Amino acid sequence: MYMFKYICKRIGLMIVTFTIIFVTCFVLVKLLPINTSVGFGEDTGKIIAQFEARGYFDPIPEQFVRYLKRIILDGDFGIGFQIPSYRGRPVWDVFIEKLPPTILINIYSSLFAVPVGIALGIFAALKKNKWQDHFISTAVMVFISVPSFVYASLLLYTLCFQLGLLPLSFSSFQHIIETYPEKNFVYTPGTFNWHLYFNKEMFVSTLPAVFAMSFGSIAGYARFTRAELTEVLTSEFMLLARTKGLTKAQATTRHALRNAMVPIFPSIIGEFVSVLSGSLVIEKIFQIPGVGGLYLNAINTKDYDFFMMLSGFYLLVGLAAGLVIDLSYGVIDPRIRMGAK
Amino acid sequence: MNTKNLFKKSIAILMVAIMLLSAVACKKDPQGSTGDSDQTGHKDPKNYTYNTYVSVSPSNWNELTYQDNNDTEVMSWIGSSFFIYDFKYDEAGEIIPGEFEMKYSAATKLEDVSAQYVGDTWGVPADGKGYAWKITLREDLKWQNGDPIKAEDFVYTMQEQLNPDFQNYRADSFYTGATTIVNAQAYVKQGQALKAQPASTIYTTYSADLDSKLVFSLAAPSDERPTEVYMRTAMEFPESYDAKAAADYLVANYLGGTAFTADVAATMEGKTFAEIKADATMKAAWDALIGWWQTEPNEELHFFLTDYTYPELTWDKVGMFVGDTEYEIVLVLAKPLNLLKEDGSLSYQAAYNMASLPLVHKATYEACKIAPSEGVDLWTSKYNSSVDTTMSWGAYKLTSFQAGKEFTLERNENWFGYGLEENDGLYQTDKVVYSVIEEWNTAWLEFQAGKIDGIGIDVTIADDYKGSSRAYFTPSDYVGSLQLQSSVEQLKARETEGVNKSILSYTDFRKALSLSINRADYNTKCTTSSLPGFGLFNSMHYYDVENGGAFRNTDEARQVLCNVYGVDASKYASLEEAVDAITGYDLAQARELLTKAYNEALAAGDIKDGDEVVLTFGSSVINETVQRRIDFIDAAWKELAKGTPLEGKIKTEGKEFGDAWSKDFRAGAYDVCLGGWTGAAWDPGYFLLAYLSPDYMYSAAWDTANTQMTFTMKGVGENGADVTETMGLLEWYDCLNGSEGAKYNWSATALEQSKRLQLIAALEEQVLLAYYSVPLQYEFSASLLSYKIDYVTYEYNTFMGYGGTKYMTFNYDDEGWAAEVAAQNNKLDYKN
Repeated sequence: MYMFKYICKRIGLMIVTFTIIFVTCFVLVKLLPINTSVGFGEDTGKIIAQFEARGYFDPIPEQFVRYLKRIILDGDFGIGFQIPSYRGRPVWDVFIEKLPPTILINIYSSLFAVPVGIALGIFAALKKNKWQDHFISTAVMVFISVPSFVYASLLLYTLCFQLGLLPLSFSSFQHIIETYPEKNFVYTPGTFNWHLYFNKEMFVSTLPAVFAMSFGSIAGYARFTRAELTEVLTSEFMLLARTKGLTKAQATTRHALRNAMVPIFPSIIGEFVSVLSGSLVIEKIFQIPGVGGLYLNAINTKDYDFFMMLSGFYLLVGLAAGLVIDLSYGVIDPRIRMGAK
Repeated sequence: MNTKNLFKKSIAILMVAIMLLSAVACKKDPQGSTGDSDQTGHKDPKNYTYNTYVSVSPSNWNELTYQDNNDTEVMSWIGSSFFIYDFKYDEAGEIIPGEFEMKYSAATKLEDVSAQYVGDTWGVPADGKGYAWKITLREDLKWQNGDPIKAEDFVYTMQEQLNPDFQNYRADSFYTGATTIVNAQAYVKQGQALKAQPASTIYTTYSADLDSKLVFSLAAPSDERPTEVYMRTAMEFPESYDAKAAADYLVANYLGGTAFTADVAATMEGKTFAEIKADATMKAAWDALIGWWQTEPNEELHFFLTDYTYPELTWDKVGMFVGDTEYEIVLVLAKPLNLLKEDGSLSYQAAYNMASLPLVHKATYEACKIAPSEGVDLWTSKYNSSVDTTMSWGAYKLTSFQAGKEFTLERNENWFGYGLEENDGLYQTDKVVYSVIEEWNTAWLEFQAGKIDGIGIDVTIADDYKGSSRAYFTPSDYVGSLQLQSSVEQLKARETEGVNKSILSYTDFRKALSLSINRADYNTKCTTSSLPGFGLFNSMHYYDVENGGAFRNTDEARQVLCNVYGVDASKYASLEEAVDAITGYDLAQARELLTKAYNEALAAGDIKDGDEVVLTFGSSVINETVQRRIDFIDAAWKELAKGTPLEGKIKTEGKEFGDAWSKDFRAGAYDVCLGGWTGAAWDPGYFLLAYLSPDYMYSAAWDTANTQMTFTMKGVGENGADVTETMGLLEWYDCLNGSEGAKYNWSATALEQSKRLQLIAALEEQVLLAYYSVPLQYEFSASLLSYKIDYVTYEYNTFMGYGGTKYMTFNYDDEGWAAEVAAQNNKLDYKN
């Protein structure tokens, strides 16, 4: 019951936090001056007339109420107006069409990085202060220090261009449709189009980006796991376990790892939650039509509808992620009880 | 089931699902790739695909609403032209460089029918020519789906273009540009309520019943009210002149000793004409003011603003309709166009100003309309924003489009052009594939791997690839200039203790900055292949298009450069040689000028001994290219300061200003930027507006209206006499372009181009000598073309470029190219 109360309380706080930030975002973005500049010899009046017809000069509270009504009653998040690539397109349609590639490369990357990173961390902890540990720790430092776009460029040049092992760019839908004519794939603009993503061509084309995104995560997990496990392995209860007759492997897997996972596991969940945000640089380098950069573009171009929809979405995801991560502690370690006195 | 087990099971199911999906994904496809197409080349059975890329995806290629060049990437393939430019050939069948000829394409006939529309209804003057045009269409024009195209389709489209419910972005193309259709503006703005418009633009005649609607104003335009009364416009008051400054100016120069004083003017500000008339003091001031100003009836309106709502207007009042047959379009224009030459053949303007008119497929367009949501009055349309909503009447049709990733176009078999004998052997391209690649480095690898067929040469690889046999160089009318802040008030306002900026207001200091930059070195190190720039115009600016007369190659233009850069032309065999000797770089003179400016500023108290000069170098973003240029200029200015009182004290700091960078610079928010202009390359006289009008110029605080120039226009007076005048630069500009109210009309229609040249050159010289705009580069871009394709010529033609897809030829078909690339191990060498 206390858990239920705790969750209700957190959800209540989430709603309050969401409302405050969402309204603040709306007001602040509407307070920015409207850019009515036009090209050489064009009529400024046409831009002013457009803004006026869109109600951009109305009082902000009036605009906000209208905006909310539109979302709630019609599910209409608005039409892109300023981002050059998406002018005149429903912002929600653009967003959901761009989400799948971002989600996929992040999930693939996590699936690759988590086991490899944890395995390396365990190995380094078990070989503490031996050459294997030093080697892994040095590599970890290198991979953590170098930003992912450097790996991305290196991978693109070596694996994709010089060695020709992987494609240079993420597959387009048209390429998939032409590659698998027997499957009669159809691309529907403004939808997720998940069916176009699960095939060999598309999977292989994600790999360069997946590898580029994984290296940093692998290094992070390895370092974190090594640190936690090293500490746990030197605990007194581990000595007790060994004296009770457990082998080193048994003591490590049954007791040490489980305890070491308490701080690591929430970070894994956190990483899965962050898959929705995308990576601007990686997506640019590998030509992935994902959501990375969409938010930045919305801010730079002052595209109100894109900005508000993305602000709301990421705000909601961020707040939900915080709650999920907090709750996950209790799942991993039954001794931790959120909300209990 | 407890929470722990549920979580474990969920994770396990998720893992299994993802692994299964991955396994399915890895399953080998038994069919393999087919990429075969049933399309064939124009009378060639093989498949030819042109692969190219853009860095920004187009979003809306609707002719009525498109906004930028990304959108025109699609539009250029799916539309056709009434009239086209083509190469001109000599007797041996070789292309004559630089020349062109005009041809009919989607139209078969063009007639000047102005005489039929003379009168008040359409406003065509009795002897007017070029006001009304009849365009006869080919009768075999079709949409990609086979639907016929007739004149009524163009008329329907124009009605939608000007539909006031949509406020389409391109509507102003038909009331602000050269092609101004009668009543187009009135139609699109009907019902629109305008606040505080210049009364003289709303009413043509004054009557007392307007008094309560007219509001007196001498105030400058502002963000809240971006208009000003006609009197201010005519007097060419800059924006920095507020109402008080304007009144002071009038009193000091014209109305001293009359009832019109600055104090009374302040009282009159914002009052209606009725209120002014009712008050004796204001009435007396008004009488003095209008007594000085008025020479023609209705000029009372020049001092007032008024709110206005455009009246309803029916479509039959707009100057576009179907002619006598269903294939004739009639256009009645408010401003004449010279689309035909004296001999009745097409002039260059036919393809420049009337290449086509917007055209939408009626049924598709109607289905794509989106009604406004609650609280919004604007209709929108999704026409031409996806494959399903796109209709082509051009040589190619859109066959796939994935926003932000890729789009393809394929041959439109219903295009009329494929049936024409003159196109035999042309249009070899079957398919065009555009990839969206934001990163140049990625595109570069794709090019070397044979995936795309052309790429611009980045400065980072220029040394290795500029000499490639596959490199070609394209000139541009863009002149990149260093723009120096002109507002001394803003410079002073941003000074802090020990930091000086206002020395930039000294002409000698700005000239020193100019002379300290080695333009040849700058272009070698900071651009791919641009040439050193010295004038406001380059070789792409034509003063006489029909005869290929480039402004920069005239004696008048050459003399300007000699004058500005201090080259004594008499020491050279020709002006051309003298211009060739110009470098724009003279460090010794620059240091002298710097020292002189410093001493003058010190004496005037504008700089203190020991002050540093810190110049903020602004840009929209500071990327690698911009930083390289800032660093070069910074190093040049540090070198300039050596041995002068400012040694070690000139510094630059880079700062990003985003989209508003030019607006911020004009407002005085920072000191230096790199910027220039492109457009109007065939009318340098008009283009000077960019350097002289406060509405456009970077140096917005430079008072070009009151910067006087005494000049003698040779052979323009009566009986070929010379005319000597002293006028403000902007007034000279107005004369050059025959603006309303100008003292002389020396526009292109009133005066032969050779005589206008002298004034264009004189104004260019004045702008250069002010050193607010310091030209650095005449832009040239360098590109590499794939071994797969060839252009018909590599000598750039202003009208035809390199011939485009129409003339493009393929050295390999798709199959052959794939084999060639594979044979080269997917790495093509373009260094040689």
